[in-house]
Amino acid sequence: MTTTAPDRSRVWPWIAIVVAGLVTLVAGMLVPQDAVQGQLSRILYVHVPGAWLAYLAFGVTMAASAMYLWRSTLIWDRLAASSAEIGVYFTGLTLALGMIWGKPTWGVWWTWDARLTLTAIMFFVYLGYLALRRTTDDIDARAKRSAILGVLAVVQVPLVHFSVVWWRSLHQAPTLLKPESPDMDGEMVVALLVSLAMFTLMYVAMMVKRMELARLEEQVLRAEQSDAGPVAGAAVTAPSLGEES
Amino acid sequence: MDFGSEWGWVAAAYAVTYVSLIAFAGSIAIRIKKARLKLNERS
Repeated sequence: MTTTAPDRSRVWPWIAIVVAGLVTLVAGMLVPQDAVQGQLSRILYVHVPGAWLAYLAFGVTMAASAMYLWRSTLIWDRLAASSAEIGVYFTGLTLALGMIWGKPTWGVWWTWDARLTLTAIMFFVYLGYLALRRTTDDIDARAKRSAILGVLAVVQVPLVHFSVVWWRSLHQAPTLLKPESPDMDGEMVVALLVSLAMFTLMYVAMMVKRMELARLEEQVLRAEQSDAGPVAGAAVTAPSLGEES
Repeated sequence: MDFGSEWGWVAAAYAVTYVSLIAFAGSIAIRIKKARLKLNERS
């Protein structure tokens, strides 16, 4: 009698996402409130990790796109596309959380500040990346076109991050990623680092499942293309002028 | 700003985070299931 072992790769990413979400929630609620911003400072523990993941995801998209252009292996294309989709989600989340934080602290949901505007542009450029992938069913052409955009679009990541340093901005300057020691209380730094680690775990877990989806979608597309047979016009052959027997 | 309304904004932020997280992860799970069904129909 033979038994089949349960496929752990199907389950662990979902468990990891739930655990990471719960730990982030606990860290954000247990940490003491900020002396100036009060309870609102708790938004930091989801807003900053969201932005970090957007940077990480688009960095991975760039690296995987470069690898595809070099090697022409489709696994790099799947990695780039999966990471870009997750990055778009986290950029959208960061923008939404920034607006929720902005209204009670700045008095407005949105302002055309350098950091906010550049983040919105980055969001729409990567939405364009995802749209570009839907313009053709040719897997190789799709991979090549999106790889070129995936390499070029990453220039926005340093622009977004350093926008608060390079231009006068309503958004606060970096507190953790700065040359000197962080301007934060030790407990808040620990809570933020825990949140960053948990969001990174969520990213890894999401990538595992999104890569699985990319592989399955590619198989479906290949199966549909092989079922469809030759393309229209393939039966028309060029006339052989002057070669009549 | 009073204590209650501060918690209201915090609750809104965390609700947006977790609802969108469930929706995004759920969309991946549903698309995986649909793709598997399509492949199974063909085999």
